[in-house]
Amino acid sequence: MLRYLGTPLALAAVLLVLYLWVSGLALDSIEQRTLNWEYIHTRVLEHLRLTAVATLLVVIIAIPVGILLSRPGARWLSPVVLGLANLGQATPAIGLLALLTIQFGIGFTIALVGLIAYAVLPVLRNTIIGIQQVDPALIEAARGMGMTRGQVLRRVEIKLAVPVILAGLRTALVMAVGVATLATFVNAGGLGDIIVNGIKLQRTPVLVTGGVLTAVIAFFVDWLGSVTENALRPRGI
Amino acid sequence: MFDTTSSGARIELDGLTKRYPGQADPAVDNVTLDIPAGELVVLVGPSGCGKTTTMKMINRLIEPTSGAIRIGGTDVLAMRPDELRRHIGYVIQQIGLFPHLTIAENVGLVPGLLKWSKDKIARRVDELLDLVGLDPAAFRGRFPRQLSGGQQQRIGVARALAADPPVMLMDEPFGATDPITRERLQNEFLRLQRELKKTIIFVTHDFEEAIKLGDRIAVLRESSRIAQYDTPARILAAPADDYVAGFIGTDATLKRLALIPVSLLSRSTSTGTTTGTSAAATDGLPQIAGSATLRQALDAMVAHGRQEIAVDGKVVTFAQICASVTGEQAGLTGEQAGAAGEWPVSGVR
Repeated sequence: MLRYLGTPLALAAVLLVLYLWVSGLALDSIEQRTLNWEYIHTRVLEHLRLTAVATLLVVIIAIPVGILLSRPGARWLSPVVLGLANLGQATPAIGLLALLTIQFGIGFTIALVGLIAYAVLPVLRNTIIGIQQVDPALIEAARGMGMTRGQVLRRVEIKLAVPVILAGLRTALVMAVGVATLATFVNAGGLGDIIVNGIKLQRTPVLVTGGVLTAVIAFFVDWLGSVTENALRPRGI
Repeated sequence: MFDTTSSGARIELDGLTKRYPGQADPAVDNVTLDIPAGELVVLVGPSGCGKTTTMKMINRLIEPTSGAIRIGGTDVLAMRPDELRRHIGYVIQQIGLFPHLTIAENVGLVPGLLKWSKDKIARRVDELLDLVGLDPAAFRGRFPRQLSGGQQQRIGVARALAADPPVMLMDEPFGATDPITRERLQNEFLRLQRELKKTIIFVTHDFEEAIKLGDRIAVLRESSRIAQYDTPARILAAPADDYVAGFIGTDATLKRLALIPVSLLSRSTSTGTTTGTSAAATDGLPQIAGSATLRQALDAMVAHGRQEIAVDGKVVTFAQICASVTGEQAGLTGEQAGAAGEWPVSGVR
């Protein structure tokens, strides 16, 4: 259990140092407008909400699609869909958001769409790969014992793909936390607001606070992912 | 469903053929084979000769292009494949234990598919672990990766036996184990089969294994065409052609001797002719146990430079050993000699 505590303790220490440093500074009125509990609290919640909803939708979209694409009949389709997902990730997220805004305006939904397009690839790819890498001998044994195709999928293929799918999900989550800072440009809030304030108003404490908070959340989410992976990985593998 | 009680069911293959589109030669060409209930038949042939394809058509992992398969008189091709497979034990070389399931869950899988009650499955699992010589209390909760290769294949066999199928298909089940483990698994498996009397189709490319395990052997050439289908002793004594002879190798006689227990000759000595049975007659002769084979007896003779050997207080001579393969001379009556070809089937195990 101890090895699980290292990351949260380190992150808490970083936050403490940040707090002590900022409270030791004499903040001017511009800095105070950003660096107060009310403002930071709201931005953090916006950021987490955006990340969580985007990841949830990525799970809902990418895992079923990945499973479908891993079926023998649909395998020819998977390079096409993976190509599309690659495109989503290869396109600079800021450019994608700009394009979406020109077409559809601004707001939470637009930020969400951009995030999903960006984060769908790792989950989709890992779902397909996770199922395809299941030892064919196991599938033959399962079929030979009289499992239907559906039973093989549910009881063998998906179960054995879980660790790989979760690894993809963890990558997607961490990426989403980072990219969610760009939501500020489509007026969807988040920690990007703090960072941009810091840059535009040339206030280093503001910029550092926004950056450090984002990084701490990314690390924390990654840690949550690793704990989940360990909890959900089937015993025996 | 065909007979689901424990004893074996007859398997008939009738003109079984498999053609893959775009291939000139059929993978399996018109195989007709009658496998009596309760016998272990080995399909032996070189890699790629279609023996595995032939076997997989029986549980319909591969659908035949034409021909018929009957198990216990039931037309297999008219059944639902998934349902059919739940009543045929299946063991593969890679074992294929599910790594995310415990040993008990692996073994209890087919009974679960057949909707047995939890209690009945648990009892059956323990019974099977006992049967394959693994302590249920110690093993049922373990995961496959915590077992050695030999233990895993024992579980593979137990899993195939779980729903007590009348028929078992085994695809080189001991092929991936080291020679010592393989020998032990083969012996255990023979003991098991003597008890259970399943009808078993066993695929291997190892002719030694075929001789050791098979009640009958079907020697296959390409496209699964049957070169010879007979008992091991008769194939060794009278190979149908050069192809079969090539498979046997140059030591067919030694292989035949390995199928005959030495006790058969020492027994015939006592009813027979000139050889003495007194303690004096066996004095100074090399000793060998009655459970040994004639091959081992011959080995002892050569090693000691003698023409005679003592078996449980009786004398077996070199001439008798020669007679047992030529079917004439010495202490054998004509009837016994004629039966020589049949001995290994019932005798040596």
